[in-house]
Amino acid sequence: MFKKLFLGTTEINFKVLGGKFYKIFIVEAVLFIAVIVGSLTGLLNMNLSVDFTGGTTYQLDTPYTDEDISDILSNTILEVSRYQTFENSNTIIFRAVESTQDNETQFLNYLSNKFDVVTNEIEFQRVGPTFGQDITEKGIRALVIFLTLIALLISLRYEYRYSLIALAALLHDLLLTFSIYVLIGLEITPSTVIALLTILGYSLYDTVILFDKLKDTQKSFKISNLTSDVLNKTFNEVLMRSINTSLTSAIPIISIIVIGNFLGIEGNLADFAIPLLIGIVSGTYSSIFVTVPFLSKIIKSN
Amino acid sequence: MRNLIKLLFLPILSISLFSYVFINSIQPKLGLDLQGGISVILTADEETEPELIEQAVEIMRTRIAAFGEVQEPEISISGENSVLVQLPGLTDQEKALEAVGTTGLLTFRPVINSSLQLGYSPALTFTENPDDPENPLVSAPSGVDELTGLTISDDPSRTSYLLSLSDGYPIIYQLGPAVLTGNDIDDALAVYPSNEWIVQLNFKDESANKFTELTKELASNIGEQRKLAIVLDEQVISAPGVAFDVSPDTGITGGTASISMGNADQGESANNLAVILRYGALPVSFERSSIQKVSATLGENTLNLGLQAGLIGLIIVSIFLFLYYRLSGLIAILGLASFGALFYSVIALLGEWQGYTLTLAGIAGVIVSIGLTADSYIVIFEKLKDELKIGRSFKFATEKAVKEAWNTILVADFVSIIASVILYLLAVGPIRGFALTLGLATIFDLFYTRMYISTAVPLVGRITDNPRFYYPLSRKDIDNV
Repeated sequence: MFKKLFLGTTEINFKVLGGKFYKIFIVEAVLFIAVIVGSLTGLLNMNLSVDFTGGTTYQLDTPYTDEDISDILSNTILEVSRYQTFENSNTIIFRAVESTQDNETQFLNYLSNKFDVVTNEIEFQRVGPTFGQDITEKGIRALVIFLTLIALLISLRYEYRYSLIALAALLHDLLLTFSIYVLIGLEITPSTVIALLTILGYSLYDTVILFDKLKDTQKSFKISNLTSDVLNKTFNEVLMRSINTSLTSAIPIISIIVIGNFLGIEGNLADFAIPLLIGIVSGTYSSIFVTVPFLSKIIKSN
Repeated sequence: MRNLIKLLFLPILSISLFSYVFINSIQPKLGLDLQGGISVILTADEETEPELIEQAVEIMRTRIAAFGEVQEPEISISGENSVLVQLPGLTDQEKALEAVGTTGLLTFRPVINSSLQLGYSPALTFTENPDDPENPLVSAPSGVDELTGLTISDDPSRTSYLLSLSDGYPIIYQLGPAVLTGNDIDDALAVYPSNEWIVQLNFKDESANKFTELTKELASNIGEQRKLAIVLDEQVISAPGVAFDVSPDTGITGGTASISMGNADQGESANNLAVILRYGALPVSFERSSIQKVSATLGENTLNLGLQAGLIGLIIVSIFLFLYYRLSGLIAILGLASFGALFYSVIALLGEWQGYTLTLAGIAGVIVSIGLTADSYIVIFEKLKDELKIGRSFKFATEKAVKEAWNTILVADFVSIIASVILYLLAVGPIRGFALTLGLATIFDLFYTRMYISTAVPLVGRITDNPRFYYPLSRKDIDNV
């Protein structure tokens, strides 16, 4: 089996498989729509970070008891909306809703007294809601321009239907990552937004390499139309590269997550790594299982 | 020969740049999130004129420079009405923040003496040292630093010794207690009536008398003591002298004064002085819309995490490539190592020459690019396998694989480059750092593919025709396809 994979001589009939995956794709699409509708109507709770909602966070490293935490939650200075603790680490993070500068300083001193930690060692962050909005708005603007250019590029080099398929695969990866975030309740930070933009790059890169391979196979068959044979040969051959590339891309990212977890470090880099990993796995999946059903449609119409 | 240059150019370039960086111990300039510090976004009212914000940034810069212990502060305009202040590696954060964001104390104080006359700070007295005639003994009044001759903590109601840098060289003034403050000023304007720039200063009605009395006194003096120092936050901004045609009996009346500023700089210094006189310190008031504090330990932890993850990732990827692609895998490992050295050196040099700071998002970009770079090798090696399967000879197959893979890699990298350029141009803050490293890595990748990999693969392909040296496959496996 492995040898066949290595040689690219697996005899998977992707066209038949594509028909089956079409059903999975429909299930996924329903899930995405449900998640989007759910989070827009407030049924599902998007765990937005303080960068989007506005407020303050305090992060400190100190031994603590459950009693300490309930004390802090019932403090009268600031309204602590959430707190976060970690296994194997003394780190606690408190998040408070927006308040006056005086109250925030007072709360900082209160924490410093309570846990006997100097104020300088408490990581303090104060953000207006505009910061996260700004990043998102600019991100979306970048996204629209980028997608337009990419669609043009793919239409010119391959054909316009290919660009639609690339966009479908892309949308799949972004929505899958987003849905996992909403359903598990992982915190969405500006780093997550950056990560989503990166996933987009990965996803397209993968799809483009695949299209190129399709074109090559067509050339070697000396035909100009996509056929089931071209499709099957290409995908069987490209399978190994897809797996290898995903592995080499995923390894550095997995090592961030593993080492970060091991050292008990929480923060931006991990915020970044988790969505990236989801995106890479999803990108590999979609470059085959989302594109195949659509490519089969093209074959039929030809 | 031409092939040899193509093959060795990038490895040699990377080794020499890396040695240069290593010998001169140039290290990447670390962003605030990696070395700890404080970052603040100050936001002014929405209708604030951009010019005023520029002036405020200038003033903030001089103030933070005066603060001393901040290494490489960065103050920049971000967006239409916000200022981003980044103070890395700072211990006394609150004080520094106040120095930057709040309006300061402006005072008018008579000059008693200055280092223009003495050559040394007027605070220091030198007596002969019997043991060492070369180094006289220095004594200074209490509250004055013996080394610099400057008052350590200024109290405007007492005599103090303060520094002025406004003339391009340092002058230390001995100043009497403050007579007037910024609150006494009604308005100040820079004007150009004829031949030279003048700052027109108007005092409030109730303060006009105080100013007249003060100038009467100054006009009766000679030399340095005719000067009136304008002091902002322990620094002498300007010390104009009272003109010789002012009579000691009447002083300057009417609550107005004109400060001659000369004509040397097209009114820039006149404008700056007028702004300082008008607004005390900052021409606009700011609200802190975002504060981010990163403790030095957290910054260091994050940096180490990034470095370790990057290194371990690179090692595992190398092992994987070697196990799977064998001899060609070695090409990839050497190429990736050289790529890493080149990338590190360029980032260090960009920091040194262009002030580029490596942030967390930048490191993420680097880690992501490891995967993309390794992929270029994989694409070529897989293409080579396809060519071998059709029954081509090694020599022909390597050359064809290299040529055809180039097209694929070009298109795929092009997508990445478009993404980085758009992200860089349209996005803010952290996203830019990410876009820059990703874009840079992709461009390097193109060069490596075109020059290094394209020559190395056919070269290694000549060593042996046995597929076992290149893939975990035997000749029989390939022939059977």
